[in-house]
Amino acid sequence: MTRALSREVITGLVCLAGSLVLLAATWNLPGPSLLVPVGPGFYPRIILGITAALSVALILADVMAARRRRAAGPAPAATPRENYGLVLACFAILGLYVAALPWIGFRISTFAFVAALQATMEPPRGWKRWLVLGLVALITTVVGYLLFERYLLVLLPRGRWTDF
Amino acid sequence: MYELLLQGILHILQLKYLMPLAIGTLVGVVGGALPGITNTMTVIMVLPFTFGLEPLQGLAAMIGVYVGGESGGLIASTLLGIPGKPSSVATMFDGFPMAKKGEPGRALWLGIWASFFGGLLGGVFLIGTTEPLAALALKFGPWEYFSLFVFALSMVAGLTGASLTAGLLSGAIGLVVTVMGNDPVMGQTRLTLGIRFLEGGIPFLPVLIGVFAFAQIMSDVEKMGGARRDGAAGFITPKLVVSHLKVIWEILSRPVMLLWTSFVGVLIGVLPGIGGSAANVMAYDQAKKFSPHPERFGTGTPEGIIASEAANNSNVGGSLVTIMAFGIPGDAVTAVMLGALTIHGIQPGPLFMSQQSTLAYGMFASYILAHFLMIAIMFVGVRWFLRVVTVPKSTLFPIVLVLCVVGAYALDNTMANVYVLALFGVIGYLMVKGALPLAPLILGVILGDQIEINMIRAIMTDSNPWLFFTRPISGGLLLLSVASVVFALWQHHRHQRRVASAADADF
Repeated sequence: MTRALSREVITGLVCLAGSLVLLAATWNLPGPSLLVPVGPGFYPRIILGITAALSVALILADVMAARRRRAAGPAPAATPRENYGLVLACFAILGLYVAALPWIGFRISTFAFVAALQATMEPPRGWKRWLVLGLVALITTVVGYLLFERYLLVLLPRGRWTDF
Repeated sequence: MYELLLQGILHILQLKYLMPLAIGTLVGVVGGALPGITNTMTVIMVLPFTFGLEPLQGLAAMIGVYVGGESGGLIASTLLGIPGKPSSVATMFDGFPMAKKGEPGRALWLGIWASFFGGLLGGVFLIGTTEPLAALALKFGPWEYFSLFVFALSMVAGLTGASLTAGLLSGAIGLVVTVMGNDPVMGQTRLTLGIRFLEGGIPFLPVLIGVFAFAQIMSDVEKMGGARRDGAAGFITPKLVVSHLKVIWEILSRPVMLLWTSFVGVLIGVLPGIGGSAANVMAYDQAKKFSPHPERFGTGTPEGIIASEAANNSNVGGSLVTIMAFGIPGDAVTAVMLGALTIHGIQPGPLFMSQQSTLAYGMFASYILAHFLMIAIMFVGVRWFLRVVTVPKSTLFPIVLVLCVVGAYALDNTMANVYVLALFGVIGYLMVKGALPLAPLILGVILGDQIEINMIRAIMTDSNPWLFFTRPISGGLLLLSVASVVFALWQHHRHQRRVASAADADF
């Protein structure tokens, strides 16, 4: 029977892999110069070495803790499931917003983003809720635009496609 | 000093400074009252508005947010039994039972006035100690700075999470972020993995905004879709009329407890990365331990409210000391302030008090005046804030995220910072899921360059590495770093033993 890896072990493995890749990349860096007795790779090697060591320590600590837990008896009842689908959807909408900003500009993309995110987090039931959703999106966009662009002189992104 | 402080107060009383301070305090109170909106998120939302302001206007707004936020959290804690934010959790233990017993006004105003007095005591500490500590820091060489930053990082790593290894690893990841880009001494490009954008390094503000705001919001989003708490339905505004003189007397008649718990708050504020939530709970615990009637705690005793609220506001004073004297942010809120200062080309640290005295005393004055403004705002608007608490998160979160994106974009009007924000938003959320605390990561990102620069400066001055240990202050700080790690380990083992013995007892 196979057991799923714990989150600590997965974290440790990801960090270990990342630190080793970067550690390998430091060997291409030039050595010390006349002015500075240590090269640009000196400090990163120390930091990446520490990161790799801590990653291993995290994995080992969790493996040992898992043994203790197994010896102590059955695991407690599972906690309620988190709504990861919703998190993924929110990240996707955010990714689309960030990607769309330079193409369709702040005003259109922000209105669409605020409306879409509200509708995803709490799907509206009835026209009143749709109206509130639209108003929140509109007010956020208009107030955000006026406040930042007109008052605080931040040049918000213009769309390459829309020039708006 | 007092002349400069008086000048600072007169300076801040000008409308152009008083207005951002008042608006910041109001926003802070409202943000603090909203469950799920932390002080860090509120100050991040305010950040883009400060870019177009003078440094002191922007800082006044942020200090207002900080002070207002610490006080605003108690509204939902005492009247609804929902902590507005982590640093008002302990306030709920006695505030809510007192409100349920039919004294909501007394519970609320005990918290508000305790915040006021605790905050002012924190202010005394802030004003009294920043300059001497900055003068001490002026004697530091690169060895001492290196050791100080290592100490700060070890403190944060050791005290922010259940696992010391996870805390240290998170701090190390933060340091790794800073080694990507140009080496700060010779300007050699390194570890960019062929990505041109990384050549300039990764700016810390988008990292901070992404990591904290996204991780918090997405952690709340996870819980959506289940049973809904519709606060607006059947909401009844409680009667909040109270004799303020009586309430103030209730607080001031316990001077030792007020002083001690405010001191606990200040001390925790000075130590980097622990924050108001620990101050709130630790002060509550202290008040309970020293009380002749500890059994009354949790049933609506005034001591519980006074201790927790005095501590979380005095904690703000402590956090400001660390950033103003050493340039080390005590928590995420002061990290954002550090970012705002660096955008204006101002570097907080030992020279800050002497080179930027108008700004420094303006900050002191803002901190003190923010407490008076907080009281005024509470007098006028507490009933309204109670209504605001019922705004659904599905409405709030998109607005917060738009402000985060604008904040990152406005740093230098490029999309690159928005991409960093989004990337670190995902990384921050994954770190939370991977059981890695976020505070050490941020401190690592902020201090990484300084640690490297000071280490190399020390080596360039004298190649003897033992100087890090043999110079008294440097050695002392490194010893403290080891002590903080050992303390964290001891704490972890003690916690495990208690859990094990509790499990045995249950059995």
